Amino acid sequence: MAIAVFIIAALMAIAGAVGVISFREPIRSVLSLVVVMIALGILFLLLSAQFVFVAQIIVYAGAVMVLFLFVIALFGPAREFARANLRFQSWLSAVFVFALLVLIWMMLAGVQYRQPDKTDLSTFGTVQSIAVGLFTTYLYPFELTSLLLLVAAIGAIYLSRKKVDDK
Amino acid sequence: MTLGGSHLDASWFLILSAILFTLGAVGVLVRRNPLVILICIELMLNAVNLTLVTFSRQLGNLEGQLFTLMSITVAAAEAVVGLAILVDIFHTRDVEDVDELSEMKG
Repeated sequence: MAIAVFIIAALMAIAGAVGVISFREPIRSVLSLVVVMIALGILFLLLSAQFVFVAQIIVYAGAVMVLFLFVIALFGPAREFARANLRFQSWLSAVFVFALLVLIWMMLAGVQYRQPDKTDLSTFGTVQSIAVGLFTTYLYPFELTSLLLLVAAIGAIYLSRKKVDDK
Repeated sequence: MTLGGSHLDASWFLILSAILFTLGAVGVLVRRNPLVILICIELMLNAVNLTLVTFSRQLGNLEGQLFTLMSITVAAAEAVVGLAILVDIFHTRDVEDVDELSEMKG
């Protein structure tokens, strides 16, 4: 059962990722990315990461993607025409990316997977266990993240403000 | 590791993550539209999140999931600032190719 879910979600994710890089209209790329994110959410559930699943759906597939859709709907060029300034750019990037894939593959082949200790799945990944980690051991990183979000919000407001020429 | 009664190897998830990351890298290298390049960066970040959650489950350690939450937050901040910069540029002109944005190349 879990294998079937994994295969379906993995195929969804790969199909969505291929769609992201192959559609000419940016809006279709965004919608393909939503497919990838939902598929990854299913995989997170499979890996008993319930809270991460909820955050993935709400924050990523919800908020961030709507932000992308707004920007594309307001400003984005509707289509892009393939015209590389650099000759052989596609071939060069194919070679580099193949090298990257081989590198990751070799790294994965060298991993010694430790047999998991008895993981208590009734508490693993629940909101409570996440919160205990987030508000005890990782309290300072958590607070710094809120600072980061504040800086990002101020930066976005500053960058997209109406320019006033006060000369 | 055993998931829902059947055996699934962690390496399957890791290979899927590697494939997604590579596809994102292809997009960053090949596509011309700056918005699509940002989307492909989001795809790569998502692939890394899958790796973190997989190892979290494999090792029975919640820290991977906590790090994933941090990563989601940082990715949201990155998307906000990146899109704000693009909106600022789109206010003044239409950019169809990232290579047009080369004023700061020195």
